[in-house]
Amino acid sequence: MSTIMIVEDDPKIKQLLQNQLEKYGFRVVNVEQFDRVMSVFAEARPDLVLLDVNLPKYDGFYWCRQIRQHSNCPILFISARESKMDQVMALENGADDYITKPFDYDVVLAKIRSQLRRAYGLYASPDVERTVEVAGLKLFMERLELNWNEQRVELSKKEALLLEALMKQHPRVVSRERLLEKLWDEQFVDENTLNVYITRVRGKLKDIGLEGAVETVRGAGYRLKAAWEEL
Amino acid sequence: MRLFLKDQWPFAAFYLVQLVLLILIFSLDGYWNPSLMTYAAFLALFFAAGFLVMRYLTHRAVYQRLSQPIRSLEELTQTHGNSAFSRAFDEYNLEQYRLYKEQLHAYESKQRDHNIFIQQWVHQMKTPISVLHLMLQDEDDDKAESVREEVDRLKRGLEMVLYQSRLECFEQDFLIEPVSLRSVVQQAVAENKRYFIRNKVYPQLQVDEKWRVESDEKWLLFMINQVLTNAVRYSAGKSNAVTIRAYERGEKVVLEIQDYGIGIPPEDIRRVFQPYFTGENGRKYAESTGMGLYLVKEIAKRLAHEVELDSAVGEGTTVRILFSAAVPTLQDRKADES
Repeated sequence: MSTIMIVEDDPKIKQLLQNQLEKYGFRVVNVEQFDRVMSVFAEARPDLVLLDVNLPKYDGFYWCRQIRQHSNCPILFISARESKMDQVMALENGADDYITKPFDYDVVLAKIRSQLRRAYGLYASPDVERTVEVAGLKLFMERLELNWNEQRVELSKKEALLLEALMKQHPRVVSRERLLEKLWDEQFVDENTLNVYITRVRGKLKDIGLEGAVETVRGAGYRLKAAWEEL
Repeated sequence: MRLFLKDQWPFAAFYLVQLVLLILIFSLDGYWNPSLMTYAAFLALFFAAGFLVMRYLTHRAVYQRLSQPIRSLEELTQTHGNSAFSRAFDEYNLEQYRLYKEQLHAYESKQRDHNIFIQQWVHQMKTPISVLHLMLQDEDDDKAESVREEVDRLKRGLEMVLYQSRLECFEQDFLIEPVSLRSVVQQAVAENKRYFIRNKVYPQLQVDEKWRVESDEKWLLFMINQVLTNAVRYSAGKSNAVTIRAYERGEKVVLEIQDYGIGIPPEDIRRVFQPYFTGENGRKYAESTGMGLYLVKEIAKRLAHEVELDSAVGEGTTVRILFSAAVPTLQDRKADES
């Protein structure tokens, strides 16, 4: 289990980050007093540090240089400043990467994992996979696989994202807008494409024996109906 | 010279009148000696002319200065000769210059402080926005969607303030490098994806990967964001597409963003690049600040890009950003060499 130290002065961001990281199997150490960053660091010996730039007393750059005198562990900056100069400053002070506020959990997690992998090799990253489960139907987000009743079906990335949204929201309705937003990363998706993906997901569910599990709610969106529970 | 003559003619006139009067008094008294009087008049006139010539020579610089407009404050520090009058003139100017400079410095530093304050404030506001953003990430219901929409609006507003204040210190805040048009446009589209989806407008991207131009990525992204949000705002409910394309026009590379929305009335087109101008459309739609296109134009001017805008009511608006020549890609260079 990897330990991550969070040096962030906003209590809510700290709490939210901590909850999210713990959900994915990291141990989290927080700094409460900002003049004691180094002693917390020495005590906890974290595998990775998340460092805010604007801190009371000394700024993040200062602490980054201090940590660098003792350790080569990956340091990720979190800052509201998005200019190139600030990013260059961070890297020159010994940081490994830079995340700008506001950020997505996914981005933070991906960056943490890639830094851990680079620093300690594959074995060190905790392999708690993102999974969603609804009444026995289990979706593996990294393997892109859907399991039900000993049956397996492989999904494409977009199909998995679509199912994830539907399953997380179960049994409520997910709006078409929300689904479009989920699917839309580098390649944008319009309404027709969404229809195509919905059809495909229905097809895959049918392959493992779950027909009619994705229900259209007119004027609202789609809903996952766990009708198989009653079987 | 003209100013000098204008300045001195009363003196010359008075002098002549005085001379004539003198001769008149003598002659009325019965004294009349033409040759002596001519001689005396000649001497008097000679010295008076000599005085005027001397006066002109020593004060010429001052008169020249006074008859030309001042083009810069620095011209007030020049010297204009050695006579007591010139020196007083120079000192007076210098004093004025100093006072102006002092006030200017005071205002400049006030402005700078204000800018620093704005930028710091914007960055501080990003923390609560981050908190909201994180809290909403696992929420999928309609209420969360609605809050997300408002958070997006806050983000866009803050961005506008930040860039507006950065424009003041543009000289220290840009980096010209080859920028891939496709990747900047993709980034802009991704940043606005919720805005697109919510308004049911979808971008059509026709920007080839080969287009690379000399620009500053951050400022260019901001420009494209402004144009795109306008395109979406004025398309909503009327059309569902915005076309983004890049092509070459002569030496220049053009990035074109075309919408098929409501368009701009002809009487407003001339003024869309003016600050705070919102026009007829701005009054009908919320969230028009009148600053977007003004900032686009200002940034373009500083980056040496050009901006064009065509629009027809009911047909839509096309905004073009023109870049100087394309930056050749590695493949182009190899092709040239072989």
